[in-house]
Amino acid sequence: MNNAIAQTIALLSTCALLLTGCGGGGGGSVANSPDSTTNNTTTNTAQTTTTSGAIPIGIALAQTSNVALLGQEGFVGARIAEKYFNSKGGINGTPIKLVSQDTSGDEAGAINAFQTLINKDKVVGIVGPTLSQQAFSADPIAERAKVPVIGASNTAKGIPEIGDYVARVSAPVSIVAPNSVKAALKQNPQIKKVAVFYAQNDAFNKSETEIFQQTVKDQGLELVTVQKFQTTDTDFQAQATNAINLKPDLVIISGLAADGGNLVRQLRELGYKGIIIGGNGLNTPNVLSVCKALCDGVLIAQAYSPEYPGEINKVFRQIYIEQYKKEPAQFTGQSFTAVQVYVEALRALDKKTKISTLPLDKLRTELNKQILAGKYDTPLGEIAFTPVGDVIQKEFYVAQIKMDKDGNTGKFVFIK
Amino acid sequence: MDITLFLQQFLNGLSIGSIYAIFALGYTLVYSILGIVNLAHGAIFTLGAYFTYALMGGNFGFNGLLANAALPIKLPFAIALILASILAGLVGVVMERVAFQPLRRQGSDPLLTVVSSLGVGVVIVNLIQYLVGAESYTYPANTYGNLPPAINFGTPENPIPIRSVQVVIFAVSVVIVAILTYFINRTKYGKAMQAIAEDPTTASLLGINSDRFIILTFFISSFLAGLAGTLVASSVSIAGPYFGIAFGLRGLAVIVLGGLGSIPGAVLGGLVIGLVEAFVPSDFSGYKDAVAFGILFIMLLVRPQGLLGRRFIQKI
Repeated sequence: MNNAIAQTIALLSTCALLLTGCGGGGGGSVANSPDSTTNNTTTNTAQTTTTSGAIPIGIALAQTSNVALLGQEGFVGARIAEKYFNSKGGINGTPIKLVSQDTSGDEAGAINAFQTLINKDKVVGIVGPTLSQQAFSADPIAERAKVPVIGASNTAKGIPEIGDYVARVSAPVSIVAPNSVKAALKQNPQIKKVAVFYAQNDAFNKSETEIFQQTVKDQGLELVTVQKFQTTDTDFQAQATNAINLKPDLVIISGLAADGGNLVRQLRELGYKGIIIGGNGLNTPNVLSVCKALCDGVLIAQAYSPEYPGEINKVFRQIYIEQYKKEPAQFTGQSFTAVQVYVEALRALDKKTKISTLPLDKLRTELNKQILAGKYDTPLGEIAFTPVGDVIQKEFYVAQIKMDKDGNTGKFVFIK
Repeated sequence: MDITLFLQQFLNGLSIGSIYAIFALGYTLVYSILGIVNLAHGAIFTLGAYFTYALMGGNFGFNGLLANAALPIKLPFAIALILASILAGLVGVVMERVAFQPLRRQGSDPLLTVVSSLGVGVVIVNLIQYLVGAESYTYPANTYGNLPPAINFGTPENPIPIRSVQVVIFAVSVVIVAILTYFINRTKYGKAMQAIAEDPTTASLLGINSDRFIILTFFISSFLAGLAGTLVASSVSIAGPYFGIAFGLRGLAVIVLGGLGSIPGAVLGGLVIGLVEAFVPSDFSGYKDAVAFGILFIMLLVRPQGLLGRRFIQKI
């Protein structure tokens, strides 16, 4: 009997070992997803979209896993948009209906969600996925099936270039990130030595740190160390000590909320006193609940400000605050915008040709063209798209975290 | 590696290892009594951390069913920690009654019980997410009172700073291991548990009510998991409902390394894995799990009974 148990444990442990091994590898195997989907799609395209009367738009964001924080923020924005635009008459009288599929935090989850939305739910277009890392695996599926995708939080280099059907409303990190370094130099012109930290298991953070490192060099600053970690790490004492020993005046972190927050906390606890810049992954109120009082002063560049004076932003912000009693996060504003782009593009298309008369494949293709052609007045300001599908946005901001006296609550204060 | 960093990582490894030790003790206790590995242990660990958060009057975020809910009480950390661990222990008892006892009664294969425990773990994790969302939560800023954020183990010129919370964790773990060792070896209850572990049939012939002691074992085991969860969360915050999963897996590595069913083995295994992980270069931090399970794998090949475990004797 005991031997059998020992064997069982050995088996389970081996499975666990294999799982962790694959997790680190970035899931190269899942990228070659079944091609049968494309065939399914083409055979199903004769159906119309409006089986239940509403026009289905797919939301593929993370509802579970360690990225669920970001996914849930985005989801809330999309839901507010659905309700708001339907109350304004939807698509010239026809309501839209968001169909949500959980992508979880990995590539396989995103691929499954995309396939379900495209083949089963027969959506006209998709908002998502949450991470750039997931987008590189899942977006090609939509591209092959000729279904428009709008990324609401993918900011890594190369996302719109995945294909003709891939666009994004999240401005690329190369444009947003340098603003925070400039803001730090404004606060302390004496900054000379910079330590950079980044999560090496995440495509977005890798791409972001390159931008940060380039900006540091462009500003004539000295890059004293580059420390790597994983988004799943919790203990950063080795990296923090390595960096602190080199006496940096500025620390730049590219990570996600939980790991980034813990890194900020441990840097401060181990005695780092200089300015800290957080990347886009830390750009969420969820980071406040991790580093609490020690978050105070962290600078983060922003693609969205709740204080942007546009009309649609005022409405969006008001609905959000009424419901959740706090300011909307950037991802919430961006996913609202993504749904808004679909709604306005569908309205414009419907005026040209009644969309209920279009077969699904034709509708998806025409919608994609319309998305790229349009101009939109959104909570992010006035936006449009480059021919390849990248967002053209005018306004960017820098916010600084200000914690209350008790150190338990705080907010992003816009300084630019 | 310079001496400062070495000492810092050594102390850090001891602190992490001591947590692995008390967590793995829970696994080991259940294993020695029932001969099964309870795969819901990681979920109970998570649950303990959330219980403490709730008992300290923490507010829940807006994504779960309990959006913005908070208990009307605000207990100090030490009391919340103990109460939460007791609650975790009680959940362990309920789990035993619901998921383990019926299978045991039917004389099912131990593998079925292991699968059943995995199911309980998944249910608990999903329930947490359903109720309080996936946000991360951290205990209030003043959890450890007026302790400085870091303690210097070096000189003012050559500081070796260690986060105070790591020192507290190590101290609490040492105390818990000491109490548990005393309980198992010196008290009547502990000896009865040992007797059941040795041979349940003989123990019941001697008048020991094994059912009652199984409940006690589950209570202590889950108590330890809840305690470990809270201590870890006080160091790195609760990173969401999934935060116990990695711990659950590493705990398996610890007990196999130390020797299944061996209490000193769990402690030694915990410290070894903690120290080895601390010395994985930070550039390769993603391979910490792989290192832990690599050690486990080699151990199974070289010395299947673990560092301090007893060799299985096939009785014919």
